[in-house]
Amino acid sequence: MRPEQRDLDDEIRGHLALSIQERIERGADPEAARLAALREFGYVPAARESMRAVWYSRWFDMAQALVQDLRVGMRSLWRAKGLAATVVVTLALGIGANAAIFSVVRTVLLSPLVNRDEARLIYIRQSAPGLGTGNLTFSVPEIADFKSRTTSISAFGDFSTVDFTMVGFGEPRIVKAGVVSGSFFEVMGLRPVLGRLLDTRDDGLNAAGAAVLTNRFWINSFNRDPSVIGKTLKLGARTATVVGVLEPSVPYPADTEIIANVVTSPHHLGATMISGRTHRMTELFGRLAPGVTLAEGRAELVAVHAAMVSEHPDSYSATAGMQLTATPLRDQITSPARTILLLLLAAAGVVFIIACSNVANLILARSVRREGELAVRAALGASRGALRRTLLAESLVLCGAGAVLGVLLARPFVAVVASFAARFSVRALDVTLDTSVLWVGAGLAMAAAVLLAYVPRLPAQTPTGPGLVSAGVRLTPGTNRRLRVFATMQIALSFVLLAGAGMLVATLLARQTASTGYDTRRVLALDVPAPLGDYSAKAIGFYQEILRRVAELPGVDGVAVGSFVPWRDAGSFGPGVSFAVEGLVPADGEEEPRARLRIVSPGFFDVVGVPLLAGRAFTADDRRGREAVVIVSHSVAQRMFPNGEALNRTMWWTDPYFGKAVVPRRIVGVVADVDDENVVRAPALTVYHPFQQMGVAGRVFVRTAGNPYALVAPVRRVVRELAPNQPVERPATLEDVRARVLTPERLNAFVISGFAGVALLIAMVGVAGVLAFGVSARTREFGVRLAIGSTPRSLLMSVLSEGMAIVTIGIAAGIAGGYACAGIAASYVAGIELPGVVPVLAAAAVLGSAAILASLMPAARASRVDVLQALRSE
Amino acid sequence: MAKQRDQQRLELLQGTLDMLILRTLQWGPQHGHGIGQAIRSQSDELLKVETGSLSPAMHRLEKRGWLKSEWGVSEANQKAKYYQLTAAGKAQLSRERDRWSQLVGAIGRIMNPAGTE
Repeated sequence: MRPEQRDLDDEIRGHLALSIQERIERGADPEAARLAALREFGYVPAARESMRAVWYSRWFDMAQALVQDLRVGMRSLWRAKGLAATVVVTLALGIGANAAIFSVVRTVLLSPLVNRDEARLIYIRQSAPGLGTGNLTFSVPEIADFKSRTTSISAFGDFSTVDFTMVGFGEPRIVKAGVVSGSFFEVMGLRPVLGRLLDTRDDGLNAAGAAVLTNRFWINSFNRDPSVIGKTLKLGARTATVVGVLEPSVPYPADTEIIANVVTSPHHLGATMISGRTHRMTELFGRLAPGVTLAEGRAELVAVHAAMVSEHPDSYSATAGMQLTATPLRDQITSPARTILLLLLAAAGVVFIIACSNVANLILARSVRREGELAVRAALGASRGALRRTLLAESLVLCGAGAVLGVLLARPFVAVVASFAARFSVRALDVTLDTSVLWVGAGLAMAAAVLLAYVPRLPAQTPTGPGLVSAGVRLTPGTNRRLRVFATMQIALSFVLLAGAGMLVATLLARQTASTGYDTRRVLALDVPAPLGDYSAKAIGFYQEILRRVAELPGVDGVAVGSFVPWRDAGSFGPGVSFAVEGLVPADGEEEPRARLRIVSPGFFDVVGVPLLAGRAFTADDRRGREAVVIVSHSVAQRMFPNGEALNRTMWWTDPYFGKAVVPRRIVGVVADVDDENVVRAPALTVYHPFQQMGVAGRVFVRTAGNPYALVAPVRRVVRELAPNQPVERPATLEDVRARVLTPERLNAFVISGFAGVALLIAMVGVAGVLAFGVSARTREFGVRLAIGSTPRSLLMSVLSEGMAIVTIGIAAGIAGGYACAGIAASYVAGIELPGVVPVLAAAAVLGSAAILASLMPAARASRVDVLQALRSE
Repeated sequence: MAKQRDQQRLELLQGTLDMLILRTLQWGPQHGHGIGQAIRSQSDELLKVETGSLSPAMHRLEKRGWLKSEWGVSEANQKAKYYQLTAAGKAQLSRERDRWSQLVGAIGRIMNPAGTE
């Protein structure tokens, strides 16, 4: 029960009153009584202080003084709302963005996987740089070779991705499934949360179909229902029993809903899969044997692979330049996200530096402006400590508010950045805010606060300086230079960000507006998959019936089936199929040409808007039993028949997949080049087959003059009438497919532009602040100049040109520094692109015009200086 | 002010003020001024404690838990803070009284050795 100050005063007053009253009662004169009582009491303030000292420690008094100072600080900042808001928001953005991005970087790139002993888990990749294929995957015979010939890898796990038509859980639909052998989960070191995982019991042709649900699928689709164990799924032609649920883990190599054993996939049991050395569709993982280092394991794998290549020259062409690499699984999983996240981290860091220098600038200007006030306070008896404490309190309020706001911003920032990063790494789905980073950020802000409190010079103990004499601001050359250097640095850094963002936007625009050769807006593509490998007449009849019935729907201008939705199905058929043409013998050592094999129905080219350049289109008569025919792309005609007419010549596939027998096919037409693998068009060798000769295609294309999406429901109804369990999925116009493919690039451009925008804004505030400060410090000078005949216009121009000087130097420094940094970065990170001339010029133009805008306000103020007032102000 | 002090007055021995306050309060609750008056009158005006040092002393005793205080109204109808001995204060008083008798005895033996009488 510590008494309040008021209680102490009351007590003293009570004392004196009693004492005085007593004296008066004894007959003393009231005034004399008062004096006597006071004399008897002693020195009142000293008594009060020693009474207080009983209850309150020294620290309490200091804290109370600080609270008082904070209150004063807040009041004085309230009068400079604009400055305070700028500083607080700037700091908050810096802290929040950095905490968010660092949280994501830590989770995605640095934290370990849940897999048991993950450091020994490696991902093995076969690539063919000669064919431009980064990941060729493996065939079953190749995997068998690795298993029998290596000793440094204790076990291999394999995983291939298959689309199943799943019936049994709700609507019939296509699910992406992993097909694995029994060793997969053991090698990956994963555990079930329910039931069991697949093991060697599930290997072999006679095992029962078994499937494991991935954790996310179980939670999202089954709401963690434990009774799914034992349920039977219909997967295409086969069935599988759900045996377990996988623990939460990074889904790699593919984010699938289920993982099933080999017997569920008829394709995996076929001769092509089992004995075809070039039939590659399986990803390979390995666990290093105890005591084996990554380098040793890698060396053995590479040696085995080299032996394999030399033993089977027919399966590994020389020009493909087959290579084998082995990387720790974690590096493999994080590699797509690494560059973009490090880029983001750098951008956030740059923004933070700009923010800090801006805050320093604003505070510096403010404190210089306050030197007069400080001098007055010192003259009135404030000690240096008290003055410093006032300054400290004020910058604590500023930076503290910034830190608090930054902490609040960090959580939504993390959500945004994580959903962005999830496009590059599934690990980003599990990102949570890293609170330790927040503390560091907040701590840095506090350190900055203390530092900033020591920026202003305190008046000398015996105040004789100009501060007391005039209320104006004296700008020393040193301060002025410091302000300008900071502003220039901000411009330079914002320029680097702007140019980078400009480069990304320019690339994106180029890709978005590039002509594709397709009529992208009017064509709707749908997946209507057939069971894998069903080439029967019945399946072909099914699609012909779809074509007939859809064509009758109102609003449909044309319908066709194909095997490949441009861009969306990119990469799903590997690097192309080798072929030969009549009359062209490849030179010795020259690689056989490879073409994309596409299967289309009659009318396909009209529907997607690809013009026929020569010959004829497919007709209903190009069917089984008739002459085998193909249509080739312009590039094939030009490259394979440089001297003559491609029409009516023959071509045949030489890939072992087609067997030993040569089936010559006559070229009946040539169509314009389109590139359905890349949104940026490159000449592509493509050979089209009529679907009645080659088999089922699985993609339906509908052309309409109206809204393409209005046709989705009617088309689905038509298909379901024919086959109730037939999935009809992923309806999208080709335009939207392209947009979806470009999404990561758009996001990159968007996020970096966001950073650049923030940087630009901060830098503009910085330039405007420095100029405004300069103008207010030179009010008297401007007044004098106006008085002796300068025109307001010339003053305006002189301030503007000052601003332009800062910007020009900043941009020059930005260009020099930016290229230097890019050069250094290029030696560490592959694939650094330098912006072209256009983005650089655009960035300079944006920065320049923004700077003019920012300088206009202070310049206008300079030109409007009131002569009399300016001269009288001192 | 110190110069105007009565020449006859005795300086209090270090550490005895607390004891005197506790002793005075043994008769019942009293306000600060009353305590000062009591000490003065009971010492035949020889001991005169400045209220300026009495008040902090009482706060010190209250903080140590030997006194408790409450606001009340004096006989002269003035608002005043009344102090009162706590149980711990009573125990402390008897301890100090013992120590004081020992001290007086010891000093007495030195000043008047048994043999000289």
